[in-house]
Amino acid sequence: MARGRVPAGVPTGLAALDQALSGGGWPPGSLTELLGDWPGDGFGLVLPALARLQSRWLVLVDPPLTPFAPALAARGVALERLVVVNAGARGAWAAEQGLRSRACAAVLVWGGRWDGTQLRRLQLAAATGDALAFLFRDPDAARAPSPAPLRLRVQPAPTGYRVTVLKQRGGRAGAVLSLPSC
Amino acid sequence: MRWLALYLPHLPLEVLGRACADDLPLAIGGERILNCNPAAAAQGIRPGLKVGAARALCAALRIQARRPAAERAALERLAAWSMRCTSLVSLAPPRSLLLDVAASLRLFGGARALLGQVGEGVAALGYQGRLALAPTPLGALVLAIHQGADGPIIPDGAALRAALDPLPLAALGLRPRELDDLTAMGLRRVADLLRLPRAGLRARLGPRRVDWLERLLGEAPDPRLPFAPPAEYRGVLELPAEVELAPALVFPCRRLLAELGGLLLGRQAGVQRLDWRLGHARCPDTHLHLGAIAPLADPERWLELLRGHLERLDLPAPVRAVGLVATDLRSLNPTAGDLFPGATADASGGPALLDRLRARLGPDAVRGLALVADHRPDHAWRWAEPGELSRGIPRANRPLWLLPQPQPLTQRAGRPWLNGALDLGQERERIDTGWWDDRPVARDYFVATSRRGERLWVYRELRGRGDWYLHGRFG
Repeated sequence: MARGRVPAGVPTGLAALDQALSGGGWPPGSLTELLGDWPGDGFGLVLPALARLQSRWLVLVDPPLTPFAPALAARGVALERLVVVNAGARGAWAAEQGLRSRACAAVLVWGGRWDGTQLRRLQLAAATGDALAFLFRDPDAARAPSPAPLRLRVQPAPTGYRVTVLKQRGGRAGAVLSLPSC
Repeated sequence: MRWLALYLPHLPLEVLGRACADDLPLAIGGERILNCNPAAAAQGIRPGLKVGAARALCAALRIQARRPAAERAALERLAAWSMRCTSLVSLAPPRSLLLDVAASLRLFGGARALLGQVGEGVAALGYQGRLALAPTPLGALVLAIHQGADGPIIPDGAALRAALDPLPLAALGLRPRELDDLTAMGLRRVADLLRLPRAGLRARLGPRRVDWLERLLGEAPDPRLPFAPPAEYRGVLELPAEVELAPALVFPCRRLLAELGGLLLGRQAGVQRLDWRLGHARCPDTHLHLGAIAPLADPERWLELLRGHLERLDLPAPVRAVGLVATDLRSLNPTAGDLFPGATADASGGPALLDRLRARLGPDAVRGLALVADHRPDHAWRWAEPGELSRGIPRANRPLWLLPQPQPLTQRAGRPWLNGALDLGQERERIDTGWWDDRPVARDYFVATSRRGERLWVYRELRGRGDWYLHGRFG
């Protein structure tokens, strides 16, 4: 696949990951799925990119635990741009609102059950609002197809993360990366 | 063509009935019907009809007494609203407003376009208005009352005269005695009167009436007292029929918001807080407070927020009246909406987004995070208003996630255990502090690795039995 047809990605802040991704970073205005055994796995993978996106809001919808402010600040996240939303059953709605608003650089979503239609809406909202959408899901989700252009399986490793590229638009799947923790 | 007159023929009725759609028959009257809405008219109700006869015609007819104070208040709210079109509005009680539109004609795209916009705006507020544009205030007023259904536009003095000439003498608001006197002279139309020499008229009608005529025709100046827009908004709508379901309140609320919107536009102001009062028949009022992150001027934005609240609202009883109060008007300057100086234009949608999320999910469901300068992990952060800047101690060696409560870990052979033995790293961090308040902390923290490879933040109590706890996850 010609690399030129894939829009330039948003640098992940991790050189090895940028190299493995077809656009050289997180696909812009797109939905990325992170599949982990524990819902919080993969948050650290996303943080370096979030730390560079300072101009718009970062919205966390229904995170599994409280994000620890001193740790986020130490990793360069602008806390005054961060919003934590407890949406419960309305997680999909809240995420869509955030993505569409153009006021958010990224929206991270946990929990909820997602069918194909909802995932397409999320992808469309991300494109509309030119925002990064990260959906943290159970590994079982890999069995159903998804409109997300990028799907990663994230597993903790003693030194950081073991990341498997399950799917990526305009690039090769199957790569297994060993990434440092941040 | 400087003055726009807005005449509200049905104001006495509308201050009572404008909260509902026009499908319920409603009339104003004491002994006789003064005014009625189209639904009542369709049942044969006419002004002048005796109340008993009216009830016989239409059993469902609601008849209410006239309320002059409410009419005056409504007129003032409309005056405030109409400041969207001009900076000079003058009250012409009991049922009219005068707008000096000399400077706004071009801005609004000409006389016809301006009349159209005012007419539509007034209708959206629930009033029937009649409009006329004329060179003099009195000329505009007389024509609005008598020809306002067509919205006449009178460019100059000659055209004004031509428009007034064919009107009956009664159009000039003469007292019955004056009218009888003039009719006895054989005068029928305005033209007949204006043709007479002024000196004779002065002798017959008195100087004040002739002054009035001269102001009408623009021969004498007619300065008008400018209406000063209020510094706050207070509006009430009585609902002619009780409303049982909260979402159905959107209709009357929208009208109050439209009035507020006009006032805000006229004052170049926004509000950050709205206080709604829902009046019930037999239980205390329901109060609803809407807040916005930044001052809002657009009534549609407020309506959107209100919708979210109404969806979540359980009414204790049916609603009979809706009140809206906005006291904290803030002038909008071009940068006031920008929460983040130096941020890209896109972040300006932030306040709107947060307001929308809060309206639907509740105020506590949308929060920011802030640092606190405290060494105890549990006290090193707090919930904050989104956008709040804080100072504290960023810590690179801390986990990304904190458990709400430390979770006790079992021990095997003196080592902490979680689905297998935890591998404690080399680094130990001692936190022994907090002796100055009631929550001292004395712990040794470790970054542990589980058998699955997860990195966990665990600690051992330095006091007591030396128990182990899980406190965070690196994720």
